[in-house]
Amino acid sequence: MKRNAILLLLGILFLTFQTTLLSYLPIQRIRPDIVLVIILYWGFTLPPISGGIHALFLGYLMDLFSGNSFGLYTFTRPLLFYLAQLFRGRLYLESFLSQSLFVFIFALFEGLLILTFLAALNPAPLGNLYSPFFTFFLPQFFVTGVITPVLFFLLQKIFLTLFQRQGMGLRERG
Amino acid sequence: MSLRVKQKQGVTFVDALVTEIVSPFQKASTFLIKTVHGVFKNYVVLVHLQRENLLLKQKIGELQRENHQMKEMAYANERFKKLLQFREKISPPVIAAEVIGGDPSSWFKSITLNKGEKEGIRKGMVVIAPEGVVGQILKTAPYHSTVLLITDYNSAVDAIVQRTRAKAIVEGKGENRCQLKYLLRSEDVIVGDVAITSGLGGNFPKGLMVGEIRKVEKKEHGIFQYAELIPSVDLTKLEEVLIIPEAPPPPLEEKGKKVKKSPPRSSRKKK
Repeated sequence: MKRNAILLLLGILFLTFQTTLLSYLPIQRIRPDIVLVIILYWGFTLPPISGGIHALFLGYLMDLFSGNSFGLYTFTRPLLFYLAQLFRGRLYLESFLSQSLFVFIFALFEGLLILTFLAALNPAPLGNLYSPFFTFFLPQFFVTGVITPVLFFLLQKIFLTLFQRQGMGLRERG
Repeated sequence: MSLRVKQKQGVTFVDALVTEIVSPFQKASTFLIKTVHGVFKNYVVLVHLQRENLLLKQKIGELQRENHQMKEMAYANERFKKLLQFREKISPPVIAAEVIGGDPSSWFKSITLNKGEKEGIRKGMVVIAPEGVVGQILKTAPYHSTVLLITDYNSAVDAIVQRTRAKAIVEGKGENRCQLKYLLRSEDVIVGDVAITSGLGGNFPKGLMVGEIRKVEKKEHGIFQYAELIPSVDLTKLEEVLIIPEAPPPPLEEKGKKVKKSPPRSSRKKK
């Protein structure tokens, strides 16, 4: 229970950073999605049920605080969590490059998924969404990938400090 | 003593000799004492100086911090003054709110305000700043609300070009840009023209500044021309906003025109 509460607080903290500090970055093209990073980290470290619930809750919070009324993140974030779980035993994310690449690919996948959903769900065609995908969103996915090793390292330290008994960490599980 | 003063002679030879022998010692002793005293005094003063220096540095730091705070207060005061003047200028009563967060996702453009249903905020209300239109209330909670910015892909505002009165719909384009949709090709629109709210949408009062046209593209075919607009409000640096609780209903005459002339209405979009 205590562990779940801490994980939840950590997620909320990441979301708060994303909506405050990172949303005021002068160049929005380099704004990373740190909530995605924590969810993917959870995908490698948390059990499916509690981790899935946390990912769902964070996705729900993202939808709640954004101008999105379709509930896209409530769907995509748990989906990404379970996809990461699929790779849990198969990928060995030891190097910085593999961690960055892993998150970049997942961010790209989520971006394409959101684009598809937006195009399908909107009554009016969203032609003006396609060009920013390459000019605006791709750099963001890239930056998210670049900062991933730092965040994974930080999360690993936090997890090891808080849940040392369980011996959780990317190196142990991933 | 008075006798000696009366005598013309200074001192006796012996007295003079003793004096001359002892004086250098005295001089040396005084020099030594003075030097030691000076060194000690300077050392002590230095110690004090170091301490004083540290205190002064702290004081400077405090003063600088205070100065920054004062500057920040002055800037805030200036903004509030502007907001207040604007508030007094516009006729409907408005609710002032502070921006407490941005959108967690980059796909959508919204901000979170520190005012909600308890303060009378309702979905669909118009949010403005002294420089122009900001957006509309999208979601409300008891003490907080979310504003859909005019730069969001889902946003649409009925607007007119101020100089030529050409009608168009301002749609969000993300990244602090909007586009003018359904702007007839025959309309005379140039870079630098200002777009204002038409009042036809029913939500936005007429005459609020939306932005300035920065790019106009007229293709050889088609009935519409393309124009890109930069919002008059810098939505990336927004700190305080005003919410209009109720927008005045559009005049009947304009309502009629709206139905006839602008079929691709903003009502199709989420407001």
